[in-house]
Amino acid sequence: MAAVGSALLKHLRLRVQVQAVPRNPSYALSFSAIRRRFFSEDVRGSFLDKSEVADRVISVVKNFQKVTPNANFQSDLGLDSLDTVEIVMALEEEFGFEIPDNEADKINSINLAVDFIASHPQAK
Amino acid sequence: MSVASTAAYAARRAAQKERVRILYRRALKDTLNWAVHRHLFYEDASNLRERFDANKHVEDLNTIDRLIADGEANYNKWRHPDPYIVPWAPGGSKFTRNPTPPSGIEIVYNYGREDND
Repeated sequence: MAAVGSALLKHLRLRVQVQAVPRNPSYALSFSAIRRRFFSEDVRGSFLDKSEVADRVISVVKNFQKVTPNANFQSDLGLDSLDTVEIVMALEEEFGFEIPDNEADKINSINLAVDFIASHPQAK
Repeated sequence: MSVASTAAYAARRAAQKERVRILYRRALKDTLNWAVHRHLFYEDASNLRERFDANKHVEDLNTIDRLIADGEANYNKWRHPDPYIVPWAPGGSKFTRNPTPPSGIEIVYNYGREDND
């Protein structure tokens, strides 16, 4: 289905290019120039397959940061101290928690967060 | 001006960073309290983050202290009167609701079967 559509599109493009010929001064040069333009992919452009685009975008996002269980927020994942605060708040909301302020500053890596939450009796 | 290698300077900067982190945390929680709908919270949180980030590169210690004091005053002005507290945390509704009884006390389940002399 997509192949038929793209073939139709190419056919239509062909038509438009042919009508633009009379504006050029010398016919021979323009004809070969247009033929060159027809058959070059980068000039005409072609739309990528949507699933392929989605796959590539996902792989880029996945490889962006190495999220391992031992990752430190600031050194490995490249986050700010304010970002750490945001992450701790998101964890608090997720687990239905309340972390006192002085202890919340010490959570700097995924390991610490996991240990803290696992050792707290009221985490849901 | 103190050079970046003195211990006192480093200690002051560390204390300031601590204060900024605590302030940001409280301000974020407050924003969550005030925002009724979640999409409003996301907008307000990003505005707050931008306000914090605008002053990120200030180097002078006294300016930083003044900025932190201004931020704390702003936070005090905007504190929510009825913040959400997790029920079993201090200040919540379930806090010390059912404390564990001290050891040595046991409950005897003989209601209706005691012999009254």
